[in-house]
Parts: sequence; structure tokens; C-alpha cells
Amino acid sequence: MSERSTPHHGHDHAACIELFTRLSEYIDNELDEVSCRDIEAHLADCPCCTACMETLKRTVAFCREVEERPVPATLSRRLQEIVAGLAAPKPA
Amino acid sequence: MAKAEKKKVEDADTDLIAAINAGRVERFQELVTRYQGKLYNFGLKMCGDSRDAEDMVQDTFLNVFKYLKDFRHETKFRNWLYRVATSTCLKRRRKSKYAPDRELSLDEFLPKDEADISDTVPQWAAQPLAQVLNEELAQRLKTAIVELPEKYRLVLVLRDVEGFSTTETADILKLSVANVKVRLHRARLALREDLKGYFKNE
Ligand SMILES: [Zn+2]
Repeated sequence: MSERSTPHHGHDHAACIELFTRLSEYIDNELDEVSCRDIEAHLADCPCCTACMETLKRTVAFCREVEERPVPATLSRRLQEIVAGLAAPKPA
Repeated sequence: MAKAEKKKVEDADTDLIAAINAGRVERFQELVTRYQGKLYNFGLKMCGDSRDAEDMVQDTFLNVFKYLKDFRHETKFRNWLYRVATSTCLKRRRKSKYAPDRELSLDEFLPKDEADISDTVPQWAAQPLAQVLNEELAQRLKTAIVELPEKYRLVLVLRDVEGFSTTETADILKLSVANVKVRLHRARLALREDLKGYFKNE
């Protein structure tokens, strides 16, 4: 796609912009086969869009790895007390 | 409330919920134990700080208890739980005076000049994930997530952190699938911008 090797290619290119708007759907496998093949053909020829796609993919991968914090003991206790209150027989 | 009978979605919680609804109220604790960790971490990302997250978890379980009898098993319990949690969260936030949500537009994420365009995949996206991800980066990412405007953050957290599908997320938030996709894409692009900034000097 780019005739020059310098990053002159520029994302003002209509095809690049079009791809840019659909990158998440592509990463999530939510596009039909034809669109997928179009995008793959473009990516094969366009290092800029490839870099764009890989960084977005990695961003998503990081999100999936966000570590969970343990539940504070104070919260567990509070919830236990609430449930005990709900389960207690109501005074008649 | 007399809706046409829909197919019931059975999941790992179905029996427990039936028992609770049949009067075994003390077994509600099992439901709490099962989901408190997930909800607390969801709350941390949605509310930003631990105290608010704790209040959100408490209010959510109270609401779940209150409405459990009305749960029709039209979705997985987990999806319904997140719907309750989300609306609990939004209600809490509305009470406090937050600035109105900023809109993220696609344009702001388009490269601005040539210096902004890279034709090589940077190290942080090329190296194996485990080699790049460390404590500091994880912290940076969490902060960036919390700072996303709420409507984008909700979608990103449900999709990319909690792992709900696009249709499940649409169902939880009562949004169209197209809307979920648009918000998700912009939220991801905003995070990517932040990461690009973080890795700029590498
Ligand atoms: Zn391109």
C-alpha cells in the first residue's frame, strides 16, 4: 500500500481510517468473513495499521490480566451480619 | 408481570436461588461468598475507591435479596447480578455531584501528525505479555480505567475485564449491540493512548 518506506503513508488514507474504525470488531472476531479477509489483506500491506492493531490487541490483553484485590475482611463481616439479619426470624 | 413463558436459563446458581426463594434465607450467604470478590473488584473499577466499592457491594446484595423472587432466569444469574450492580452503582454516583460524562470521539484517537504514526510494532506490544506486564504497569492501567468517562468505562470493564460477550454487555446495560461496540472501541483507544504515553520513552 505505501510506496515509500518512510512513515509517510499517513492514516488519512481512506482505507486505513475505515479499518481503524473496525479494529475492535476485528480483534473480537465479530466481522463477517469477507470483511475479515479485506482487513487481513490491508494489514499485510500496511505496517502502520499492523502496529495500530497490535497495540490495541495488547491493550485488551492487559485488561484481561488486571489482578483482583482480595475482599477486605471488614466487608465480608459486614455482609455476614446483614445476611444473618435477613435470615433471623422477624419478631411477630 | 404476566409475561409469556420464556425459556429458563439454567446455570450453577439455579438450585441455590431456588432454595433461597423457597425460604432457606440463610443460604443467601453462599451467594454472597460466591460473588463478593467479583463485585468488590467491579466496584473498585467503577467507583474508584475502596470505601465506595464496599458500599456498592453491600447495596447490590441488599437489592439482589429484595428482587431475587422476581428473577425469572431469562439470563444467567451472573448477568442479572451485574445488571443490579450496575444500576446500584449509577444510582450512587448520581447522588454525588460528578462532572457530566465526557464524550470520546473517534477523531481524537486518529494520529495527529507523522510523528504519531509508527510503522513498527513497539516492544510493549511485540514482547511476550508476561515480560511487559509488571506491578507498575498494572497500577497505571487501573488508574487509566478508573479515569475513563463512566459510560465508556462500564462497557470496557464488563467486556474486557469481566469477560462478558458483546450481547451480554448490551443486555446488562440495556444498550444496543452497536452502541456497546462503539463505546468499547473508543474506551480501548483511550487506554491505548495512555499506554502509548507510558511507554513513550522506552
Ligand atoms: Zn493502513
